[in-house]
Amino acid sequence: MTFRWPPIVPRSAALAFVVCVAALAVAPVALGFSIYTKNLVTLAFLMISGALAWNWMGGFVGQVSFGHAALFGVGGFVAARLMLMEPPAPAPLAWLAGGLAAGVFSLGAHPMLRLRGPYFSIATIGVGEASRLIFTYWEDFTGGSSGLSLPIDADMKDRLYWWGLGLAALVVAASYLIRRSTLGLQLLAIKADVDAAADVGVNATFYQDLVFALSATVVGVTGGLYAAYFSFIEPGDMFGFDRSIGFVLMSVIGGVGTVLGPVLGAIVFVLLRQFLLASYPQLYLGLYGVLLIFIILFEPLGLTGLALRLTRFVRRRRRGEPRESLA
Amino acid sequence: MARFVDLAISAMLLAGLYATMAYGLGLIYGVLRVVNLAHGGVIMAGAYLGWVLHGWLGLDPYLSIPIVVGATFVLGVLMYRLLVRHLQRGAAGGPASLLLLFGVWLVLRNAAYLLFTGNDQTIRTAYSTRALPLFGSFVSVNRLAVLGIAVVTPVLLHLLLRRTYLGRAIRAVAQNADSCTLVGIDVERIYTITFGIGTALAGLAGLLSATIFSFNPGFGSGELLKSFVVVVLGGLGSVFGTGLAALILAVVEVFAILVLPSYLTAAVGFVMLVLVLVLRPGGLFGQRVLG
Repeated sequence: MTFRWPPIVPRSAALAFVVCVAALAVAPVALGFSIYTKNLVTLAFLMISGALAWNWMGGFVGQVSFGHAALFGVGGFVAARLMLMEPPAPAPLAWLAGGLAAGVFSLGAHPMLRLRGPYFSIATIGVGEASRLIFTYWEDFTGGSSGLSLPIDADMKDRLYWWGLGLAALVVAASYLIRRSTLGLQLLAIKADVDAAADVGVNATFYQDLVFALSATVVGVTGGLYAAYFSFIEPGDMFGFDRSIGFVLMSVIGGVGTVLGPVLGAIVFVLLRQFLLASYPQLYLGLYGVLLIFIILFEPLGLTGLALRLTRFVRRRRRGEPRESLA
Repeated sequence: MARFVDLAISAMLLAGLYATMAYGLGLIYGVLRVVNLAHGGVIMAGAYLGWVLHGWLGLDPYLSIPIVVGATFVLGVLMYRLLVRHLQRGAAGGPASLLLLFGVWLVLRNAAYLLFTGNDQTIRTAYSTRALPLFGSFVSVNRLAVLGIAVVTPVLLHLLLRRTYLGRAIRAVAQNADSCTLVGIDVERIYTITFGIGTALAGLAGLLSATIFSFNPGFGSGELLKSFVVVVLGGLGSVFGTGLAALILAVVEVFAILVLPSYLTAAVGFVMLVLVLVLRPGGLFGQRVLG
């Protein structure tokens, strides 16, 4: 039996993906990354995974969640607790368990998923804030406001780069496959009109549960890696509203509902945080707000939309068509 | 028994505040079909405006009501004219309007933080601690005044919507905006004014809460959620329904103190929000908020 290339993945895209991942895998050694650069890129990998997973819900299904921090926190704390056990659980297993815990936790949101649009979003604010309060006061599990400290393991932190890369690569591939598959089309139908989707035989309830659980699992795993990355986590940060906003922003900056958008958005987000906001911590919320307003008003597809416009513009110029403004 | 009366009275007083908050959110949603996520930010802005007027000019918070209401009306008009107006209307504009107004909220929060730092503030007046004996317990004069205003406001709103030409136009636009253009109603103008009235009510609610609670730039997120609970529970277009829903929320919140550890009472509002959305999305009185 000969291997048949799946028709939904063009060879060029697969090749580009493999080359990118391979290049990033050897980059720390080949380019001699400093510890600082390496850590920054690791953080970017984690944020890319989180943003893409948020986008499955917010972009593909069109259910904007302002509460993904709850899933991130559950994953992070379950993983941290397992890594703190005596003897400690192997880190990858702990992360996986964190992801599964977040996935199970998300099934509790099942009744919420019949809410659409603003109702779903506002309900997620409620769940997110309630989780933050409950987990902050559940001191036996989360250590309360003083948080949990993991033993610092330099070797682990070194290897985290490749774990992060692996996770991000997996999530990018998964996003692409979801987008291109029948599942992606069904999600698109649900996003456009739930009732019409049901009329053509799409089981909206099932697919929303499925995608939400998948999204939660990935965000939970990301939370686990994040706990290992920082060696210290506390509920106010892990479950914080700012973190939920972060997931929304990364996708919106890059382009909601696209595959590469959240990747770009996460990179921009991490860089912004690192270089700009470290110097102006008192401005960062407002800056996010202004970014949101401008993107929604002028380019709802974010950076992806901008790139599309640019390529159209360049193509037209090349064909020597009459000049047109960028707008 | 005395404790029961105490709790019942404080629930009553709290309900007035919740109702005032909810009218603004409900009015904007009912007419424009936009959930004003910046609602909490405007409540916070109203609180700070009252605090500035009181602290710097020595103006009594109750005398500054017209100024605060006027200023937050203008804020709402600007928000509508500059931002919300450019969005697609209807289902497609849903997520966009949410994200946009969320951005406005973040900007308002950050502005307050830059201007007034993140410290907790309160408005303290000579009568802040004064109390009257009532049914064998003592009731704060200030809270009574807040309740009074919270009762007068919906009556005025009701009169505005039922008895004036503007109110009729607003109700007509809420029912069918397209037909309104046919009979010569300037729909954009009605939207602008409605948005302004909605934010003015939020500003008023903020000012009133500032006389009771302490606040900081993060103030308003809980208030947004509570307003939303009240709007969904009470349904649209009924001043009575909103008032009753506010009372239900306040009673549940206040009496939760009896059965729950104190740190969990803050989560009651959130849990109720989810329960209401899931169990009674159509509201208690049949006038559905969900489309």
